Amino acid sequence: MMDVGRHPNVELMSFSEVESVSGFVGNFHVTVRKKARYVDPSECTACGECEKVCPVAVPDEYQQGFSSRKAIYLPFPQAVPSSYVLDMENCLGNNPIACGKCADVCEKECINYDDQDELVNFEVGVIIAATGMDVYDPTEYDEYGYTRFDNVITSMEFERLICAGGPTGGHFIRPSDHESPKSIGFIQCVGSRSKDGRGNPYCSNICCMNTVKDTLLLCDHYPGVEAKVFYMDIRAFGKGFEDLYIRSKEEGVKYIRGIPGDVVEDSQTKNLVLNVENTTTGKIEKHELDLLVLSQGVIPRRDGAQIKQLLTLSSTSDGFVMESHPKLKPVDAPTKGVYIAGCVESPKDVKDSVTQASAAAARASILLNAGKTKIEAITSNVDIEKCNYCDVCSKVCPYNAILSADKKTNKPPTIIEAACAGCGACAAECPQDAISMRHFTDEQIMAQVDALLSVDPHKHLIVFACNWCSYAGGDMAGTSRLQYPTTCKLIRTMCSGRVDEKFVLQAFRLGAPMVLVSGCHFSDCHYINAVHWTQKRMDRLWNKLDRLGIRADRLQLEWISAAEGQKFAKVMRDMEEKLKQVTEEEIEYTMKKLEEEAKKEEEKKAKKAVKRAKVTQDQEVNA
Amino acid sequence: MAPRPVLFKCLMCGHEYDGMYDADNVTERTCPKCRSNSVRRLPAKKDK
Ligand SMILES: [Zn+2]
Repeated sequence: MMDVGRHPNVELMSFSEVESVSGFVGNFHVTVRKKARYVDPSECTACGECEKVCPVAVPDEYQQGFSSRKAIYLPFPQAVPSSYVLDMENCLGNNPIACGKCADVCEKECINYDDQDELVNFEVGVIIAATGMDVYDPTEYDEYGYTRFDNVITSMEFERLICAGGPTGGHFIRPSDHESPKSIGFIQCVGSRSKDGRGNPYCSNICCMNTVKDTLLLCDHYPGVEAKVFYMDIRAFGKGFEDLYIRSKEEGVKYIRGIPGDVVEDSQTKNLVLNVENTTTGKIEKHELDLLVLSQGVIPRRDGAQIKQLLTLSSTSDGFVMESHPKLKPVDAPTKGVYIAGCVESPKDVKDSVTQASAAAARASILLNAGKTKIEAITSNVDIEKCNYCDVCSKVCPYNAILSADKKTNKPPTIIEAACAGCGACAAECPQDAISMRHFTDEQIMAQVDALLSVDPHKHLIVFACNWCSYAGGDMAGTSRLQYPTTCKLIRTMCSGRVDEKFVLQAFRLGAPMVLVSGCHFSDCHYINAVHWTQKRMDRLWNKLDRLGIRADRLQLEWISAAEGQKFAKVMRDMEEKLKQVTEEEIEYTMKKLEEEAKKEEEKKAKKAVKRAKVTQDQEVNA
Repeated sequence: MAPRPVLFKCLMCGHEYDGMYDADNVTERTCPKCRSNSVRRLPAKKDK
């Protein structure tokens, strides 16, 4: 951090918050709120005189509340810049009658009670999001007694208690009587790998090795101390990790496979009694401990939604940020020019975070050094003649790549091609058909539908498959030699979000008995959240089919990932079964009904066109 | 708009079940019975 602070090419803005981000790759406009510190960091020498006279004491967040800090304080010893900050919420006030003691003793006169937040605007070419994570709050696991029993602490609290720079100067004590604990237990996976609705279903990655390290620290600093670890599995998969685990066992740490059912406190001694089923021996055991450490999991940042919104990042089902591609672009965000590093992407240790940060920096510098970037060949463009300025497109775009239309000023929507990723959701949603996708135009896709249904249409299953997942799922089924019916005919679109209502209706109009729309699972969507529009559109289509007296279940929807070859084959077999249930009469009725609908639609459009032409003519006359 | 209770129908197996729908936060739907994603949000019945 010191090096970063001193680097001539790095401007470090601590105690600041990003307010807004707009623009696109190479041209991001960023507004940052530099929060008022009430202390001039360029003048403050961190002498600490102000802190000595401050009469306010509040729990110290950095020390996990084990000690207190003053209202004017240094956030932590290695803080960069090494400057005090005034916590105005707890400060007694700048009125000299109320307090003002810190300002009186500050020789450099760097305390300014009237300091204001400052908004700073600047332009950047690329952005790296490395916003980190939060830790799980184990109070939800009431059976462990965290916050109810003094001697139940979290792994973060353990970290402070054993640290030489901690509240006890590294003298490890237990909270109830400040005595050195002789027996210490660790419960693993608190809030991780949970299936009961509490905590999170994923593995937090770092907790096993953190506990192994903690036990080694204990054995090193306090020989003779008894340490027990209660676990499901110990995941020691990194370089040198297994050695560390073996060393911990050799030091005498007991690893007991079983997660305690409950923890009871002895009201006299404040010791804790754990009941646990040792799954190795199959026996119920009781363990009395002086101190219990809950190995809490890692969770996405609590203000993560805000960060994702600012940078148009997509979220995994766990709430972390999704990468552009898990294997080929692991540090790229789906938005061009945005990279990710560290626990914002998934729980990881220091080494992995550093590796990812280096990769993100390298990826960013490739772009910055080149000074130019390639853009997608598949982007959308607006036909201004057809556009009626409804602005649906800009609301649909997952990348904020469409600048809003304004009817009052006759400003049509503008597509920022550098930001457009080519999902096609705008083209599918545009009620005027005013947007077309290059290489995936309405005409091109309609021509495929027409061609596939030109011979024996009632024998074919029309499948719209997205490029990244479902189509690849089909490939997977093929390479895995899985059997599926030959009646299914695939039409590839980049995203299921591109599948226009009219493509589906055209397929039915031409006699298709069944239509399937398939795309990526929500957590895998390659276009942030374009699949959301697919689902909304499907609801509309099902309602429409219902209204027209056509069975809604002839239109199916499936999310199939690239790895789900099995699912792809099964879905096709299920569709084939459904196809057999569709009668000739149904198909004929559907074709007739949709033909009528299409005619009505044409007439409506023609009338609208005449009306619009008249309005334009009148405007010209008036002008 | 706040999340509201709706009736879902699986178009693969026909299973109907109650759930919540939030237009601002669309979530992936899976039929609890057959695992199909062809789950339709049935339109609310109008009271006459
Ligand atoms: Zn079902």
